[in-house]
Amino acid sequence: MAGFTPARAMPDRLPAAQPSRSRGRGRGRRPGESRAMTGVWNAVAVVFGVVMAFPIYWMILTTVKSNGDLLAQNPTFWPTHFDFSSYKTIFDDPDFLGNMRNTAIITIGSVLAGLAVGFLAAIAVARFRFRGRNPFIVAILIVQMVPLLSIAIPLYIVLNKAGLYDQFLGVILAYLVFTIPYVVWTLRSFIVNIPVELDEAAMVDGCTRWGAFFRIILPLSLPGLVTTGVYAWIQAWNEFVLANTLLSSNNKRTSMVWLSFYSSSPTHGADYGSQMAGALLVSLPVIVLFVIFQRKVASGLTAGAVKG
Amino acid sequence: MSAIQSDPRQRGVERLEGPVLAPSKGRRRGVTVQGRYIPYVLILPAVITLIGVMGYPLVRVILLAFQNVNSYLRLAVPGLDRWIGFQGFSRVLSDAQFWHVVWRTFLFTFEVVAISIALGLAMALVLNRVSPWAKIFVSTVLMFVWAIPALVTGTVFRWLFAGIGGVIDYIFYLFGGSGMKNHDWFANANEGLYVVVAAAVVWGALPFLVLGLNAAMTQVPKELVEAARVDGANPVQSFRHVVLPIIRPFLLLCTSLSFIWDFQVFTQIWALRQNSPEPGYWTVGIYLYEEGFTSSHYSTSSVISIAMIVLMLAVLVAYIRQVVKIGGQG
Repeated sequence: MAGFTPARAMPDRLPAAQPSRSRGRGRGRRPGESRAMTGVWNAVAVVFGVVMAFPIYWMILTTVKSNGDLLAQNPTFWPTHFDFSSYKTIFDDPDFLGNMRNTAIITIGSVLAGLAVGFLAAIAVARFRFRGRNPFIVAILIVQMVPLLSIAIPLYIVLNKAGLYDQFLGVILAYLVFTIPYVVWTLRSFIVNIPVELDEAAMVDGCTRWGAFFRIILPLSLPGLVTTGVYAWIQAWNEFVLANTLLSSNNKRTSMVWLSFYSSSPTHGADYGSQMAGALLVSLPVIVLFVIFQRKVASGLTAGAVKG
Repeated sequence: MSAIQSDPRQRGVERLEGPVLAPSKGRRRGVTVQGRYIPYVLILPAVITLIGVMGYPLVRVILLAFQNVNSYLRLAVPGLDRWIGFQGFSRVLSDAQFWHVVWRTFLFTFEVVAISIALGLAMALVLNRVSPWAKIFVSTVLMFVWAIPALVTGTVFRWLFAGIGGVIDYIFYLFGGSGMKNHDWFANANEGLYVVVAAAVVWGALPFLVLGLNAAMTQVPKELVEAARVDGANPVQSFRHVVLPIIRPFLLLCTSLSFIWDFQVFTQIWALRQNSPEPGYWTVGIYLYEEGFTSSHYSTSSVISIAMIVLMLAVLVAYIRQVVKIGGQG
């Protein structure tokens, strides 16, 4: 969510941008479209791309600027010399690495738990028509849309009472509130696309129904599990409000909470070099994942399975 | 499939209950029919978890709204709680600040949704016209922007718009705005919220909108656009009468989604104002957080939470109905 869940919850049906396909289209230029107009549109697109890229460029640039450059009267668009001391400042921070590890623990925990619980529910929704199926689907959608902020306080109260306040487990459980609906909703469409004949064939061959779930549906929906897992990972990694609310000790914070405290502390509040280095480092795992997995399309697998 | 071993004894195979197999009514009626319990077992963990982390907290919000738990002591010693009926509601609703916050949130939301949808639509159209290399360039940039966490966005934009050393001031200065050097964007909360925060939120929202709307536009058959052109439609007409009707479901979906996201904006404001936003920056999300956590007014905060959901309700319901409709077709 733009304001809230930082990964801006990707909808499951969003077709991935496919520049490779558009290449062919570009060649078959429509007769009415002049070369000049394409040039104009290209220019518009490039300007847009540059403007959009600029904040990221500026963040990275700031991390390699020397203090002299940062304090200069006029900012420069290229450093006079590369200076990596901002990174040293970050790695010298006693909490940085530990908090990064906390984020990893919480993220992995909530993604794995979300996938396990969500996978089972997705099978139910995709493979069975049972009383309560539609209410369950609608409930899932509602849960997904309830603002997290509105349940932050009761979650804090509940976890406090359960002794899970300031505990990783509490945050992991709290994150299930957005990972489970996402996983169910997205995996559902993956599982629907696995031909039910495969389940039947397995059961004809002597597999139990539960066996079919784990031996047929599980391996075939692996691409879906990976994709949803990545998205759930990004959401959990980027989450800020609940982590900020449910964790209090310095050594238990997540990276996002660490960054917010770091950049508002009296010592580093104006030290933008190290703030940007910290900002870049805490987003790096998400950027890498995003770049690797965004275009992964899981088609053709089921077709091959039916033939085989 | 090598994973399944053929069993020569051919155990009795139960029929899959499922939409695909169209089970007969008679078979499904009996409770003893084998496997009927399976879907319920499958959704049980999800149901239990969601009741625990969402259902129960929501009930607590409603209960808290009718109590006077407005200090940490009252929370710690439940014996001190009292039921106060609608007093909490009337106190919040008669508070001028609450209405200022609500008005500000709506204004901000409309501004950001309008700008991001308009820009997203425009750039999605442009991406349909450009050369392949330009499209790859823009998509790649957008992918990176998409990956940036909201908190980092806020932190970066605070630096971009910084009064001292901020590059935006400098760019304005380079283009002739001599008075813009060392301009403090945050001194005036209206400027900070409606310009800087809005810029940060729009920047973060555009990747999803541009790539999504562009993907939706590729569903428009080329022949239709071509036919419209042959019939003498100008680009605006062909957009309005050919492209728009086809992308409308997705456009509606992402407009309502943008509204829902932007209405609860929190993280960017929090980061831009270094964890302590001034009252002029308070949107509903910030307001309920300040009440709930900074002031420990748990009941007041719960009332605000309920108000927030109610204010978003129309859009929320519209969105969910739209999703169910689209999902039902799939």
